[in-house]
Amino acid sequence: MAADATVGPEGAAAAPADSAPPALNIYDPSLKIPMPQWRPLKAFAYDPSRGRRLGNCMSVSIRYEKLSPGPIGDRFAVVDYDGAQKTYYAPVDLDDPAILIQGGLDPSEVDPRFHQQMVYAVASETLERFEAALGRRVHWRHAIDADGRQITGRKDRLLLHPHALREANAFYSPDVHGILFGYFRASMTDPGQNLPGQTVFTCLSHDIVAHETTHAIVDGIRTYFMEPTNIDVAAFHEAFADLAALFRHFSHRETLIDTLQKTGGRLYALHLQSASAVAPDGDPADRKKSGAQIQADIAEANPLIGLANQFGEASGMHGSLRSALGTPPNSTDILTVTEPHSRGSILVAAVFDAYFSVYLARATPLLRIYRSGGRHSDDVPTALAELLAAEASRTAEMFFTVCARSLDYCPPVDITFGDFLRALITADRDFYPNDTDGVRDALMQAFRLRGIVAEDAAYFSEGSLCWPEIEAGLLPVPGLQFGDPNGLTRDEQDHDGDLLRKWAKDHAHILGFDEEPDIEVPSFHPMFRVGQDGSLKVEMVVELIQTRADEAMSSAGPVPLRSGVTLIVARPPSEGRKRHDPYVRYAIAKRLDAPREQRLRTTLAASEIARQGPDGRITIDFCLIHGGA
Amino acid sequence: MATASTAAGDSAETEAGVRIRMYRVGFGDFFLISVPAAAGGMAHILVDCGVHAHDLGVIGAAVQQLKEDTDGRLALVIMTHRHADHISGFASASDIFKTFAVERVWMSWFEDPGDGKALRIQAGIAATAQHLQAALAARAAPGDDEYLRMAGNALGVAKGGGNAGALVMLHSFKTADGSPTPVDYYAAGDTPALPDELAAAGLEAAILGPPRDLNLVAQMDNAAHQYLTSGAGDDNGPAELFSPAYALAQFPWPKDDQPLFTPEEIENRIVASQPDALAAAAQKADNALNNQSVVVLFTFAGKTLLFSGDAQWGNWANFLFGGAIGTPGHTGLTAQSRKILGNLDFYKVGHHGSTNATPMDVVKAMKAGCVAMCSTDPGAYGNPAKGTEVPRTPLLAALMAKTGNQLARSDQVPVGSVLATAGLPAVAAPFKSETPGTIDFWI
Repeated sequence: MAADATVGPEGAAAAPADSAPPALNIYDPSLKIPMPQWRPLKAFAYDPSRGRRLGNCMSVSIRYEKLSPGPIGDRFAVVDYDGAQKTYYAPVDLDDPAILIQGGLDPSEVDPRFHQQMVYAVASETLERFEAALGRRVHWRHAIDADGRQITGRKDRLLLHPHALREANAFYSPDVHGILFGYFRASMTDPGQNLPGQTVFTCLSHDIVAHETTHAIVDGIRTYFMEPTNIDVAAFHEAFADLAALFRHFSHRETLIDTLQKTGGRLYALHLQSASAVAPDGDPADRKKSGAQIQADIAEANPLIGLANQFGEASGMHGSLRSALGTPPNSTDILTVTEPHSRGSILVAAVFDAYFSVYLARATPLLRIYRSGGRHSDDVPTALAELLAAEASRTAEMFFTVCARSLDYCPPVDITFGDFLRALITADRDFYPNDTDGVRDALMQAFRLRGIVAEDAAYFSEGSLCWPEIEAGLLPVPGLQFGDPNGLTRDEQDHDGDLLRKWAKDHAHILGFDEEPDIEVPSFHPMFRVGQDGSLKVEMVVELIQTRADEAMSSAGPVPLRSGVTLIVARPPSEGRKRHDPYVRYAIAKRLDAPREQRLRTTLAASEIARQGPDGRITIDFCLIHGGA
Repeated sequence: MATASTAAGDSAETEAGVRIRMYRVGFGDFFLISVPAAAGGMAHILVDCGVHAHDLGVIGAAVQQLKEDTDGRLALVIMTHRHADHISGFASASDIFKTFAVERVWMSWFEDPGDGKALRIQAGIAATAQHLQAALAARAAPGDDEYLRMAGNALGVAKGGGNAGALVMLHSFKTADGSPTPVDYYAAGDTPALPDELAAAGLEAAILGPPRDLNLVAQMDNAAHQYLTSGAGDDNGPAELFSPAYALAQFPWPKDDQPLFTPEEIENRIVASQPDALAAAAQKADNALNNQSVVVLFTFAGKTLLFSGDAQWGNWANFLFGGAIGTPGHTGLTAQSRKILGNLDFYKVGHHGSTNATPMDVVKAMKAGCVAMCSTDPGAYGNPAKGTEVPRTPLLAALMAKTGNQLARSDQVPVGSVLATAGLPAVAAPFKSETPGTIDFWI
């Protein structure tokens, strides 16, 4: 009981002020102002082309950390070097009181320091969203020196270069250990909402920054995930990065409410009604009669489901770079579309179809209650919009979380859309065993309508699509250490690495590997996540890889033939005073059989987007993929 | 005609009596197929006539030789695609071609003047190539020769009005009776109209490419569109991005911090990562045109001959895999393509032996002992360090193995020629080189 009293607030208030002078007084109120948890920073919610229109200027709250000019923090370093003009731009000092007091610099296209602030803010926001969903700290891929060796012992920050290129391009590059953003001149003839020939900055597009940061995060999580070993790989990475950027739109309340009001509550409409059409006393018919048309009459594209609007318009593509719902569901695109972005948008559309189905299911009761009085069906008053926005936002958050978590349930190499579907369903079932809103069913139906199937699942049902779960205790990994949510100590890492390599070799046959060569353990990450029932789940995700060099050549070098297994190892809760050995819950494998070998050779040899880094790893060349798009 | 009598003499010795003649003009395709005509003598098919890079300067003489070889009568002219190294001869030697009688011309559906999509694509690619040529010339960077060649290839050589001039020639042939020669535009799966003389001779033809695939078209369309709007080579870019007040010579790293890279390393890595939009655009435009190639499979007296132009993956994939490679259900060769390749007697090596024009799968599935011919010359395109050299060494090695060393290259020369280059075998059996500047194969 005494212990309880000391931590209670009443205890603190009751502590006598004049007691003997202790070395340590924990009961007095501290004069030191606690450091804030969050740092607010201003950013464009979309990009400068939307101007100061509704909700385009937002404040991003990111975890507070002490920053040096750059900004340079713990995870990111913004180094504003212009590779085309060979000059640096003055770095912003976000800890300057004048900036702190106004919550960051105001949005500006002409001040590079705002650009630096925005890339830092959006990249940090994206990283935090992923870390929260994954339940662990994300590490960047090891930086490589000129000789292909890993650089160790230095603070590992991802470099952000807001004005690196004079190109309509922005890409994540493992070589620079960072993201290069380009700037370019808007089309003279077809500039959309931009001035003809004005400079367009990719670093000021919230979507582009989030998209590229997602590439860097995924590359850090998985070692060989970006080897373009089948037609889906590059498309998957583009789709996944787009999903991360798009779902963020739904956390932005102002636009969400506006969009809800202009779509009659149906978020998925491609176009919004014009402002005059939804104004309570507006009569667009009158204005039509008078022949006048003002800005508020113009219907605009739905900002929530379009990506990188300014970039798309400035390069003459009429509207956003990609729209999540451009095509009605069909199962032929998946057979014919090969360009990574177009193919990726099939996957994005499938996930969004499911998202909107779930949202509508949740929103329908509200809409029915509201309309039961016979009100105009497309009129959404603010109070209703608030409720709908809460549903849309909650659903988006849940979908993003499941997408992020499903990364851990993907095989470590050679990902296909079908694998991702299985990972999604399994991850969702693991965290939300009671699928009250039919999320898994919505996902399965949406994927089926887009022709995305899992190659090796016998049926299109939840039970068949989930990766098979291994019986508890059947495949133990004795001695595996899980550390705590902040990660493993160096000693624990060494211990687990040695243990897992030996364990993998001993279980090679069971796992479906060959006896030789040695099995690599490129990564293992403990995860601490809270389940639907509130319990803490402690697990570890482990990558196991076996590589055989092949005589076939790709444009990037010899074709590596890899098989891999992702292990999800669970730490069982203690039973009384006894703790059982950790055991493997899932072994998600990509084996190297003859058809797959043949496919790897053909695909890698034909790939025009593969490149080999100084470390010998073959990856997607995002510079080529993102060029002009 | 001396050649005709040779032809008659040799045809008795081979099963089908068909001659495939490659005119050696440099890095460019110029092939003549001659089949025994029903009425005696030979009927002739011309497949492309052009040279661009590594021009030997002999195309005029070669076209003159063609005239002698065919007596100025061509049953069929096939233009695989509109690259200078396949059509320049129609422009530069148009004065000779004007004297030819041609019964029919085949092109890909991308050339159909009645097809709005096709017209738009061709206009886009031409505009891109022009833009590229100007931009590349303006920047005059070392190592740009290859990209300039790509742009030039899409536009054509000056003499005779470039590729536009060649197309004019191809559209203004006259038949033997003086009427305009009909021009056909084909896509994969079409049944081509053979001139009477060839049909009577017993020749059959099937069109295997290019697919009339809207996705392929969209990709080409996007590609052309992208280069034009990418601002590549745009010298009017912002001179000063921000006020000079913001410029800094050095980055002020925090003193107590150990960065991953030194500022110099960061600068070097950024500079090294500058994408070469011009180079990428040149390559994409080049690929787009190559993929328009009309792919024809001829069958004569039980022998099959495949002429694939410069078709690359996007074009072949449809025929080889039944759809885009790697999409569900299309990860291996189709039964039909296995059958065709497994019975193939002659293969005109696609795109001068580049790695992306002849998939390894094709070589694997090809009949052992199939004969191949390739117009090529090293050093015109690609980079051996990147594995993109043309011809691609491992591919030609694989073809040599598959054909049992029956692979003729246009950069080979007849035995004893003073032009013989070190390291290249001279033309040997089963090939012949009876007329200077040509390599023949009788089947």
